[in-house]
Amino acid sequence: MNKRRRQLLLAAVLAPVMATASMVPSFAADEVTISHYFTGELGQKGLKEILDGFKAKSGITVKDSPIGHEDFKTGILVRAAGNALPDVFSYWAGARTQFVIDAGDLRPIDSMWDKAGLDNVVAKSVADGATKYDGERYLVPFGYHYSGLFFNKAVMEKAGITEAPKTWEEFLAACEKLKANGVTPIALGSKNRWPAQFWFDYLILRTAGPDYRAKLMNGTASYADPEVKKAMGLWKSMVDKGYFVENANADSWTDASDKVARGDAAMTLMGTWITGYWNSIGLKPGEDYDFYPFPEVTAGVPNAVVGPVDGLVISANAKNPEGAEQLLEYLVSDPEAQAKWANIQGALSANVNVAKSNYNAVMLKALDTIDAAQTFAFNYDLSTPPPVAEVGLSMFARFMDDPSKVDAILDETQASAASAFAE
Amino acid sequence: MNQSNTFWRVALLALPLSVFALIIIWPLLSSFYYGFTNWNGFSDNYDFVGFENFGKLFSDRLFMSAAINTIIWMAIAVVLPTVLGLSLALLIDSHVPGGPIFKTIFYLPICLSAVVVGQVWVWIYQPDWGLLNTIIEYVTNDRFNYAWLAKPDSALYSVIVAWSWQATGLSMVIYLAGLTAIPGDLLEVCELEGATTWQRIRHVILPLLTPATVVVVALSVINSLKGFDILYIMTGGGPFNSSDMLAMHMYNESFKKYLMGYGSAISVVLFLVALTIIRLCFKQLKKVDEIYG
Repeated sequence: MNKRRRQLLLAAVLAPVMATASMVPSFAADEVTISHYFTGELGQKGLKEILDGFKAKSGITVKDSPIGHEDFKTGILVRAAGNALPDVFSYWAGARTQFVIDAGDLRPIDSMWDKAGLDNVVAKSVADGATKYDGERYLVPFGYHYSGLFFNKAVMEKAGITEAPKTWEEFLAACEKLKANGVTPIALGSKNRWPAQFWFDYLILRTAGPDYRAKLMNGTASYADPEVKKAMGLWKSMVDKGYFVENANADSWTDASDKVARGDAAMTLMGTWITGYWNSIGLKPGEDYDFYPFPEVTAGVPNAVVGPVDGLVISANAKNPEGAEQLLEYLVSDPEAQAKWANIQGALSANVNVAKSNYNAVMLKALDTIDAAQTFAFNYDLSTPPPVAEVGLSMFARFMDDPSKVDAILDETQASAASAFAE
Repeated sequence: MNQSNTFWRVALLALPLSVFALIIIWPLLSSFYYGFTNWNGFSDNYDFVGFENFGKLFSDRLFMSAAINTIIWMAIAVVLPTVLGLSLALLIDSHVPGGPIFKTIFYLPICLSAVVVGQVWVWIYQPDWGLLNTIIEYVTNDRFNYAWLAKPDSALYSVIVAWSWQATGLSMVIYLAGLTAIPGDLLEVCELEGATTWQRIRHVILPLLTPATVVVVALSVINSLKGFDILYIMTGGGPFNSSDMLAMHMYNESFKKYLMGYGSAISVVLFLVALTIIRLCFKQLKKVDEIYG
């Protein structure tokens, strides 16, 4: 379909966006536009300082337009529809980025990557999985997260759990001890569905392994497979034993984090951004809270870690691609900017030159855990195409509501996922 | 003089008309157009697929349940705020002590945005410390932590109640206006003739309130077709799509699954249904106007 016609048709819906896009002197070579979902108060302030640093160094002004995290998902789509994408935008590495690449909306950055020597800057585990799509590089990692079992230290110690459970049996024994102590072992806030996905991610990774999970994520394996049934079975037995809080679907992830902070529950499986949240309400990393990695379930299965990578990409029709490339290079390779950013976001820097002294004790441990892992996997909704992720996320919420229906739920999920893959 | 008058009329109309065309007509036509494509929202390449999207609607389990939920919502939304609004209006009109204060109290929710109302009711329904469960615990003297918004059986109805709480204020005001239009001497005659209160309401007041009722019902029906904001705040259509309505389903398909073509098809269907119903409502209004006007 020809672009002009589409642009005309959509001009109406996008009047405000188009207006900004076409009225600014967009041909000025010394300006780069960026849109991103880092809208927290600290995030916006920090990013502004970082962008000011970029201007001081390169003379290029960055015009940034932040959009709230959830609204970003629709906002960026609306801009893409009007062919009014900013030069640079933040996006989640993995299937979502792949989706935008398939639509022909991103610009490859291989030559910039090589010229800037980013192979020596970006952590290899992140570079391999997050930046390359269809053999070409498209994305620069801005920061990344790791998901683990974050716990309330005092509650754990009171129940006599001082060692991190290494195996599944030890983990279940710890849950039993906590329960005997009158504490709910696990908080989960699956109101917005995604927090539940980490349980599925880790259980399938620890039992069937990363290769099988990759097949499930790209549609060559089935949700009705025995591998999936086994993982869900382990999850079910935990719910049946009362290890999870009641009404998980009624809580948001911060509600669940609050339960752990208050000591109503002992732990929650969450990303490192929880440290940013807990620090902001006055908890001390390493003293009040800590984490341990998800235990081994089946011996011999490769050790994988789960988390999302926040990336930056350049749109295919960028008005100032050279400036955009300079900006991307600066944002990932300047160690000072990276350190500042990681601190604000409660994230890990993808830049290997960031001094470890920039991290607190818990984040350092997360870094070591990732270094020791054989695979870095993106969480579920970033690993499988968005239409399938929608189906799966609903499945987890439904499972938490009534685990006894697990087999029927899996069969229906497979049917819906198969038709979503066929689209 | 006359000529320049026409000129000004056209000139003054041109701006609002072009704005209307640009932000209402054009998007509407675009939706129709995209409804016939398999556009994903991002790509420049998409195909014209004819009626495929519309055919798919009927095999889409989620579309069907969203349609049923919309009908349920509409049915309750027509009954609940109408009956409650009427009762409140009658009560306040009968000069109960403190009437004006109650009028203000019941009217207040209308001044709040759906976002605020939704959030307030999210707190009321909160399972552990929410107002509703706390009251139930107090009355039954037993632990009660039902998660109203997180259970597929109750999520939709809980949102409808919250919505009706707000809509009741509006229907009350419309009924109060309708009541002031009823001639006082007519009611006096009733009293002199010895009619009971119930007889008076049943045979005099209610029939004379028909125009008000038509307005209230029409508003409820139209608003339930648009039902999105309060639902988005309270459940987001969840848990697992159990409280989806058509507008919500359209949003999810378009923006979460990146099926913009299919989402457009849903919005087209929604538009046609709304158009039909609104036409019916207006027809009814006209009829009532002819009788009572």
